[in-house]
Amino acid sequence: MKQVWMIFCVMALLIIAGCDGRQSAFTALGPVSSRITLLTWIMFIGAAFITLLICALMVISIAGPADWRHKLTSEKSIVWGGMVFPVVTLTALLIYGFLVLKAGGTLSQAENPVHISVIGEQWWWRVIYRHDDGHTTESANELRIPTGRPIEIELSTADVIHSFWIPAYAGKVDMVPGRTNILHFIADKPGTVTGQCAEYCGGAHALMSFYTVAMTPSDYDAWLAKERMDAKPALAHEGEQVFLSSGCAGCHTVRGIPADGKIGPNLTHVGSRLSLGAGILPNTKEGFAKWISQHKTVKPENLMPPFDIFSESELQALSVYLNSLE
Amino acid sequence: MAKPVRRRLRKLLPWALGLFAGGIVLVLAIAYSGIFNIAASAGHPVLLEWLLTLGKERSVIVNSKPVDVPELNLTELVPLGAAHFQGGCATCHRTPGQRLNPVYDQMLPPPPDLKVHAPMWTRKQLFWMVRHGIQFTGMPAWSGDDRDDEVWAVVAFLEALPSMNTVDYLKYASGNSKDIIAAQAGEVASQGRPKINLTACSRCHDTDNAPPTSPYVPSLGGQNKAYLKRALHEYHSDLRQSGFMELIAVELDNEHINNLADYYASLKSSVSKTAQNVSSEGAMLAVHGDLSHKIPACLSCHGANKRPDYPRLAGQSEQYIKQQLLVLQRGIRAKTPYGAIMTTIAKRLTEQQMGAAAAFFASQSLTERTEHKAVEGLRQ
Repeated sequence: MKQVWMIFCVMALLIIAGCDGRQSAFTALGPVSSRITLLTWIMFIGAAFITLLICALMVISIAGPADWRHKLTSEKSIVWGGMVFPVVTLTALLIYGFLVLKAGGTLSQAENPVHISVIGEQWWWRVIYRHDDGHTTESANELRIPTGRPIEIELSTADVIHSFWIPAYAGKVDMVPGRTNILHFIADKPGTVTGQCAEYCGGAHALMSFYTVAMTPSDYDAWLAKERMDAKPALAHEGEQVFLSSGCAGCHTVRGIPADGKIGPNLTHVGSRLSLGAGILPNTKEGFAKWISQHKTVKPENLMPPFDIFSESELQALSVYLNSLE
Repeated sequence: MAKPVRRRLRKLLPWALGLFAGGIVLVLAIAYSGIFNIAASAGHPVLLEWLLTLGKERSVIVNSKPVDVPELNLTELVPLGAAHFQGGCATCHRTPGQRLNPVYDQMLPPPPDLKVHAPMWTRKQLFWMVRHGIQFTGMPAWSGDDRDDEVWAVVAFLEALPSMNTVDYLKYASGNSKDIIAAQAGEVASQGRPKINLTACSRCHDTDNAPPTSPYVPSLGGQNKAYLKRALHEYHSDLRQSGFMELIAVELDNEHINNLADYYASLKSSVSKTAQNVSSEGAMLAVHGDLSHKIPACLSCHGANKRPDYPRLAGQSEQYIKQQLLVLQRGIRAKTPYGAIMTTIAKRLTEQQMGAAAAFFASQSLTERTEHKAVEGLRQ
C-alpha cells in the first residue's frame, strides 16, 4: 500500500513538473488566458466543494442520525438541493463563461491591433505578418508579438484540421479547411513560450510546435523591420551555391536570391529563429546539418524529400549558409 | 448405415497412411540411390517429357492470365527489344539466320528458335515468360526488378521477329552501331570475328549524327558528366533497376565508366527537339510547380546551373521522361538517394501532369538554355 502511494506521489510530481510555465495553461501571461485560468480554478474548486458536499450527504444518508436522514428525504431539500442549486450554479457559470468568451470579442474592437495570419500546414506553421501599409512578410514556425498591444491572428489551414494553441496567452482555436477563424489576445510582458498543434493532423502532429516570443513594442518594431528586409548577401557563397543548385529553392523562399518556392517554410531569416523543423531542433549549424541529413528520422513522415546526396563538405557549407540567414 | 461405413474407413486408414509413407520412402530411396539419370545428354523419357511440357505450358497459360497488356507502339519498341535480344538473349536463342550455338544446343531442353516458337504464344504469355523466366529450363527472370515496362519492348520484338529476315534483324539489333565489316583473317585470328557487342552503347543510344533508336531510350549527348557516371555506377551495383542497362554496366569497370561519361558529356547532341506542342500545364509545372499538390518546379533541379549530378532533361523524349516518372512513382528507383528525392515528388504527380512535364522537356532543346525567353515570359 505504501509503495502504491509512493508511486502515485512520484507520478503526480512528474506531471506537475511538466507545468514549467512555457507551455502551461496554468501560467497565464495575458488577460485572455488569465480569465480562462481563473475560470478553470473557479470550476475546479467549486467542483471539489460540491463533491465533498455530496460525499457528506451520502455519509449522512447512510449512517447519520435518524432526524437528519428524515430531513434529507423531505420535498424541500430535494427541490432546493436537487433543482434550485444546480440550476443557479450552472447558470452563473454559463454566464461567466460567456463573459470570458466575450473577453476576446471586446479585443476585436480594440484599436490598432497587430495583424498576423497563421496557416497550418502538415506539419509546420506558415506565419504572415501584415504591415500597416498593406504589404506582408512571410515567415514560419515562430511567432513574434509586441507586448501590451492587442494581437489579432487569422487562423486557416492549407490541408487538414489543425488547432493553434499558445496556452500561456489564449485558448486553443481550430484551423478548419475552408474557414478563417480569428483569435485575439494580449501579451502582458516580454518572454518566450511555446505553442503546439492541439488537433491530431497526421503523422508528425506531435512534432508540430513553435516558439512565441513577446517583445517590447520598440524591440518588436525593430525586429519586424529587419524581418521585412531581404536576406543579406551571403558571405557563405559556397553554401548558397549548394542551396540554389540542389533545388532547395523549388520549395523554399529566401528573399534576395532567386529562391521563391512556396511549398515549404520561408527561410529568408531562418538563422534568427529559435528552433528548426517547427520547434524540434536547436537553431545551430549542427541543428541544420542534422535536419538536412536526418529529417526523416528526426521528424518521421514530414513532407520534405530526403536529401542524402550531400558530401560532408556540402552539408557543412549548406548548414553554415542557412545558419547565417539572420 | 453411417456407422459401418465409418468403421470400414477406419480400417482402411492405416493402410492408406502406410502406402503414403511407403511412397515417400521409395522416392527418397530412388533419389539417394542415384539410379535416376539426370544427364542432359540422356534426354527425358517420353512420358516425363510429355508431363513436363504439359506442366510448363499450363503454368504459363494460367499464370499469365492476370497480366495487363498496355497499348504497344511496335515501331517505337522493336529497335530497343531487338538490341536487347542481341545482347541478352541471342547467345542462347540464336539470331535469325544463324545455327544455334552447339554448346547451348546441348542444354535440356534446348533453347527454342523463337522465330518458330514466339508465334505460338499470346502477348500476355510472352510477357510472362520474359518477365518471370521458367524453372528447370535455364530461362532467367527479368534482371531489372519490377521493370515490367522494359519487358514489353522485348515482347514487341518477339512479335516482330517471325517476319524479320537477317538484314532487318541486323538493322534493328545494331541500331546506330557501325556496320559489321568483314575482318582480315589476321584480325580474326588475333581478336576474333567482329560482332555487335553487348557493350556497344550506340546499339540504342544517340551518336553525333543519329538520335536514339527508340523514344524509350534516353539521348546521352551533352548530358552532365557527373550524372552519367552516377547512373552507370548505380546500374553497375544493382542500385538502379534496368533489365537493359544492368547487364551492360556490370561489364564496365571504373575506367570505362569514367571514359564513357566523358565521351557522352562532350558528344554534340544530335537531338534538338523531340516534341513541338507543349501544353501550358507542362510549362507551368516546369517553371512554377503546383503549390496545391506540393510539387516543386521541375526547373528548380533540372534547369540551368544546377548540380552536375542531376540529369538534364531538355531534349529527352516525352515517352522516356514519362516512363521514368512512372518508374519513380512506383518506388523502383528509391534505393539511391537521388532517386529517393524524385520518388517523393513523382508520387505527388498525376499521370496527366507527368505527360505535360515530359512534353515540356521534350520541346526544349539541349543546346539552348533551358530557361529561355518563353520561360522567362512565363515567370513574369
